[in-house]
Amino acid sequence: MHKRTLVIFCLGWLASLILAGCVAGYYYMNFQNLNQILEKYKGCVMRFNICIDYKEWNGTVVWYNDTIVPFGCNLLEATEKVATVNSTYWPAYQASFVNAINGVWKDNSYFWMWYRWINDRWEYGPCGADLYILSDGEILMWRYEIPNYF
Amino acid sequence: MDCRRIAVISILASLCVGAQLAPRPPNVESTSLICFLTGFLFGALSGALLGALTMFVSGFLSPYGFAGIIMPFQIVGMAVIGFAGGVYRKLLGRNFPAGWQLRLEVSFLASFLTLIYDVITNFGYAIQFNVNLIVALFTGVWFAVVHNISNITLFGGAFFPLTKIICNLVGEKWHA
Repeated sequence: MHKRTLVIFCLGWLASLILAGCVAGYYYMNFQNLNQILEKYKGCVMRFNICIDYKEWNGTVVWYNDTIVPFGCNLLEATEKVATVNSTYWPAYQASFVNAINGVWKDNSYFWMWYRWINDRWEYGPCGADLYILSDGEILMWRYEIPNYF
Repeated sequence: MDCRRIAVISILASLCVGAQLAPRPPNVESTSLICFLTGFLFGALSGALLGALTMFVSGFLSPYGFAGIIMPFQIVGMAVIGFAGGVYRKLLGRNFPAGWQLRLEVSFLASFLTLIYDVITNFGYAIQFNVNLIVALFTGVWFAVVHNISNITLFGGAFFPLTKIICNLVGEKWHA
């Protein structure tokens, strides 16, 4: 190979490496900026893990771990951070009823039920999702199912 | 310089300015190709002057607005690309093949020269907005990537066919 060709190829590779380095730098810079913002709002946010179980619909289960929400956020608001939720507010119960999550709608027998992970097992949520205020580090689940009290 | 060469240089200059001012996706441009080509065919000085002239005109008439303090950096960057065309021709000598190896060479050279241009213009951006050069480079990296890929493609695909056509126009013997 001619010396000229070799030098030009080296320059081209050098340019590509520098560009790749800049791309990495761009993401590192963004990561640092986001970390700074997170640090700034550390006292105002909490993390929780949420699972959306579509097993009865298409056999899939999706986890959203370390989801960040503001303190005082309820489950319905938190779910809306990770999924598209359709809900109806019932004034009689002063709570919202979840009709659909990510386009999977309730029908005559299947509903969206929510659970809490307590004492190493899943427990039904005690109230409507919009009435339940999340705690830091909590593990929750939405399951598309025929409720066992039916 | 004979009339035919002057006419071709004038056409290339107007084409270059026109292409630079025409609406196009950001950082996808044929100016560097035309300046490099001019430098390659008519000498490093011609390429550098065309690059400088194009960026000077573009600095005032660009659809993105007046370039401001970045304009001198754009002028220098594009002049470097035009000048490099002439230097490359010198390095090649008079007889050279236009095989895949030379196409690759031009593409690699385009990548390097585009990066040089981007570094120079980002330096101008860094001065204008009083930011660190590294931060300016990181911030505009996706524009640089688009610029680099489009120039690699353009130089690799169009440089030698255009050289052949222009050589025929000016009556120069093509040795490929």
